[in-house]
Amino acid sequence: MKKISISPPVAAVILAVILFISSGLLPNGYGSDVSIAIAQATNILRLSVFLGIVAAGQTLIIISGSEGIDLSSGAVVTLTAIVVYVMCNGRDSMVIPALLAALAIGAVIGLLNGIGVAYLKIAPLVMTLGMAGVITGLILVTQHGNVSGAVAPIMTRIIARPLLFRIPGAIFIWIIFAGLLWLVLERTVYGKNLFAIGVNRVTARLSGVNVTGMVLATYSLAGLLAGLGGFLIVGNTGVVFISLGDTFLFPSIAAVAVGGTLLSGGKGSYFGTMAGALVLTLITSLLTTMQLDQSVRQMILGGTLLVMISIYGRQRGFRQ
Amino acid sequence: MKKIRWQYIAFRNPYLFALLLLILAAAVNFFFEPDLFTRDTLNSNMRVFLPLILLAVGQAIVILGGGIDISVGAIVSIVNTILATQLGTGASPQRTALMLVAVLFVGMAAGALNGFFVSYLRLQPIITTYASSFLFAGVALFILPAPGGSVPDSISHFYRDTTFLGLPLGFIIIPILLLVWYLVQQTRYGRYLYAVGGKADAAYQTAVPVNTIRFSTYVASGFMAALSGIAITLLTSAGNASIGDALTLSSVTAAVIGGTALRGGVGGIAGAIIGALILGLIKNIISFANINLWWQTFANAAIIVGALAAPGVIELVRRKRS
Amino acid sequence: MSVSLSARNIVKHYGGVVAISDANLDVHTGEVVALIGANGSGKSTLSKIINGVVVLDGGQLLLDEKPVHFSSPQAAKNLGISTVFQELSLIPQMTVAENIWLTREPLNKAGLVDRKTVNARTEELLALFEGTYKNSLNPDITVGALPADEKQIIEILKAICFNPRLIILDEATASLDRRQVQRLFELIAQWKLEDKAVIFVSHRMEEIFRIADTFSVLRNGVTVGSGSMKDISEKELVNLMVAKESASNVVQRERLVQENSTDRKVRLEVENLRTNILKNISLQLKDGELLGVGGLVGQGQKDLLLALFGDLPYEGTVKISNESVHFKNTRQAINKGVALVPGERSKEGLLYIRSILENLLLPSWGKYGFPTKIKKAVQDSQEISTSLNLKMAGLDEPVSSLSGGNAQKVVIGKWLLRKPKLLLLDDPTKGVDVGTKAEFYKLLERLCADGTAILFYSSDDDELIGLCDRVMVMHDGIMRSELKGASLTKSNLIGASLGATNEGMG
Repeated sequence: MKKISISPPVAAVILAVILFISSGLLPNGYGSDVSIAIAQATNILRLSVFLGIVAAGQTLIIISGSEGIDLSSGAVVTLTAIVVYVMCNGRDSMVIPALLAALAIGAVIGLLNGIGVAYLKIAPLVMTLGMAGVITGLILVTQHGNVSGAVAPIMTRIIARPLLFRIPGAIFIWIIFAGLLWLVLERTVYGKNLFAIGVNRVTARLSGVNVTGMVLATYSLAGLLAGLGGFLIVGNTGVVFISLGDTFLFPSIAAVAVGGTLLSGGKGSYFGTMAGALVLTLITSLLTTMQLDQSVRQMILGGTLLVMISIYGRQRGFRQ
Repeated sequence: MKKIRWQYIAFRNPYLFALLLLILAAAVNFFFEPDLFTRDTLNSNMRVFLPLILLAVGQAIVILGGGIDISVGAIVSIVNTILATQLGTGASPQRTALMLVAVLFVGMAAGALNGFFVSYLRLQPIITTYASSFLFAGVALFILPAPGGSVPDSISHFYRDTTFLGLPLGFIIIPILLLVWYLVQQTRYGRYLYAVGGKADAAYQTAVPVNTIRFSTYVASGFMAALSGIAITLLTSAGNASIGDALTLSSVTAAVIGGTALRGGVGGIAGAIIGALILGLIKNIISFANINLWWQTFANAAIIVGALAAPGVIELVRRKRS
Repeated sequence: MSVSLSARNIVKHYGGVVAISDANLDVHTGEVVALIGANGSGKSTLSKIINGVVVLDGGQLLLDEKPVHFSSPQAAKNLGISTVFQELSLIPQMTVAENIWLTREPLNKAGLVDRKTVNARTEELLALFEGTYKNSLNPDITVGALPADEKQIIEILKAICFNPRLIILDEATASLDRRQVQRLFELIAQWKLEDKAVIFVSHRMEEIFRIADTFSVLRNGVTVGSGSMKDISEKELVNLMVAKESASNVVQRERLVQENSTDRKVRLEVENLRTNILKNISLQLKDGELLGVGGLVGQGQKDLLLALFGDLPYEGTVKISNESVHFKNTRQAINKGVALVPGERSKEGLLYIRSILENLLLPSWGKYGFPTKIKKAVQDSQEISTSLNLKMAGLDEPVSSLSGGNAQKVVIGKWLLRKPKLLLLDDPTKGVDVGTKAEFYKLLERLCADGTAILFYSSDDDELIGLCDRVMVMHDGIMRSELKGASLTKSNLIGASLGATNEGMG
């Protein structure tokens, strides 16, 4: 099998473009109407923002290696979305406190995950999956299944509506966010250490890296970013429901994988995840446009991810 | 010297801790439900526990080999939806038997798919089985978009009421599983399994057929998931595409609590069975302890996390002391 | 039952790198052939091709005069080829017996493993090395807890348990002490009488001359010479390996006369250091001194270094630059100017898939501010690479693209960037080729001249004698003796390694 020489993020972008063009050729696609095409492209980009931000924390955790994964981010998104929803209750004045609360809650949950993984030596898969159950239980407890509240108008204004040049604010937010994340990963001690512990924790430790501290910081950061995701998502849709975050969990992992971040850790970039988020959003919207049943959509999504990781996720074999 | 002896025992028998937990859980359950040990209550509890027990056994085998299978719940759902739609209250015994055998093959096929991706394409188990869980869940939903369907009364009665030597079905199946496992451990295959899970590259250099072993664990897991699917279908007598969702985490938890470490090469199915029993008893305790309905999900999840954290906490305390 | 194996014109490449371009080897019944070559010469690859772990890309293998192709390690094993690996193939969680008999378990009539037979035959095998191991090895002990030398013995027993015809020993003596090597050689002599053939892959000249009948030398993937051991000298062998006329194994260092030693500051003072293994270690090290630590493998040398580096808890007093310290983690040690070059570079010293740049700067990113001044970082790494004569395609290449010797340079370079005051070395020339070793010795000389205090553990006695001012020999967690000046001789070193003390010696 010929070795693939295109870097995964670039391949993902190419795939995204192909998918987008294909969507235009469908019966209820945009056909040759450029203005509709632009509008749809903008919409896809806007939708990708939220998956992209939820997948950011996932990216960090997967880079940190040692089978790192965060299966609690969906639940964190839901919880923080609810908190923002209830705290704001339609008032602009509460936006900042609500945002801070979302970030703080996400960070605390992430920290708990990190403590379980680093100190209690619980496997990340099990720890975060268990945490997801706890959070979901907590959500049920506090709101008995029904929440009352409302998003602050200013959130919708900035996130969902066009801000400049008819581009929704969410996209600007994403661009700034991506820039910051690039800075963190490539130009800080934290970022360099993150890649190090992802490759080889012993070497990292013997080179002065505080591995435990890094693990705690990474899980906390991932939780915080999931909280940010919750804030933005509720700002975009204006409603909350119990499975709000769950719809992002699987695609977030898929986005990271498609984007070329090594699932074993130590290599990757946020740009790859962004491209992956684009691809995933396109696939989902394509499937919806084709008016397929949810069951078929799910099968295709699952099958697609299997195919993607078959191409990019293969690990070193025993025989060379 | 005594310390080494204790560690040696604990290491070679990782399910001792689980056994303690089991006794504790049974005691607490008994406190809330005094008729726990009567035949009828045991019977009804066992029926409910059996699907998870079967699933946990399959999961333990995969984990032992160094992998993990988080698509098992979805396989259970597929089996359930197939049975619910293909049988019906009026299905003939021949058709019933045929379908029961068929779904076993379906389970193995699903496991083979997982096994293929993990062993031969060398993909990571977590992501692979996560993706396939989505695929399988979609299939289940496709087969049965809305809860419904049914199975013949005869077999659900069989599942519910059979007593062999006065014991519920579960009390027969568990010893059979343990016996089979004991024999497997004495075979070369059993040794290979522990080797592959313990240190795969060393096993490879020793000419252990690593890929084949890994593949087989996923097929075994698919098979056990199918058995679990049959059990749960007979228990509920109905079909539901999301019936298996909650079971996946529980199967992993049961195996881990029972001493089968996620890194592989350690543990066995005895522990997984104990773990599944513990989880079942905890659920009982929560529902009998008069906890507010809204708190129950939280309580269940919190206890699971606690059970997972306990070995780590104990280890931490021990290290701080020494 | 005779056996013969020939490898003809073997070719093997990994991606774009050619590991072997023309390798040839012949071995016959009752013969021990020494497969010799510097690191990166391809000798390990060749032995892996012969035992089926690696697939050859060109050339031919002939077993008993017939061409063979191994589809897997199993295939080779079934034909009677057995290997004692350099990287152990033992399963840590399984017992001694389980490991030895893996894939070869004797079965009873029911097809189940026959435990009685397994135990009995394991005892027989263990008896072959009776008296040479410390703990009482019994079949039920879990392998993970065993020390390196005993693990190596189990590895050897595992390789011979099924009565193979051809045995490959790939650096099998690396972890063994003298008595164990002697016993192994007695076994090899026995195997020759049993018509078996042996391929002995090694670095150690002394052992090669003791045990081998013929030799075959690989250099840069090509077989450059072969013949009978009787017809060649050590010097000629080394020349074949390195192709340099004046290749000397060890640079004779001018022992800096210690007259000025009173002027030099005491950099490291250790008093009564204790860990699980170490008992009452005390030593003093001055700036510019090269203090060697010797002794058999596994006597606590590694623990000493790790404790001083803050990676192992200990009790006792440690003073650095006259300041009392007790490092709880490596970062504290690094901040005080201590550096450790660890024993296994691929597992402990390098980030394999990351770039050379990132490996060199791993402990030092904090010095480049926020956001990281990449230009300065690149500059500094370039300087260090040049001063170490690092042969690489570029700083951005992954460190996996480097040869063994160059990779080791990166491990050292990582610390040199920080100009450490105290340098701890854990067997740094293990598995490094002769050319790089020479460069490394010159580097050590330079560092000492610049005033760095160096604590140098080596498993190579000649190296210690040639380089060090003093050598402290460890045995069983204690500093058995200190050898310096006239008392620093090979026989004293060996004697001390085996447990004799300094009293009454030269």
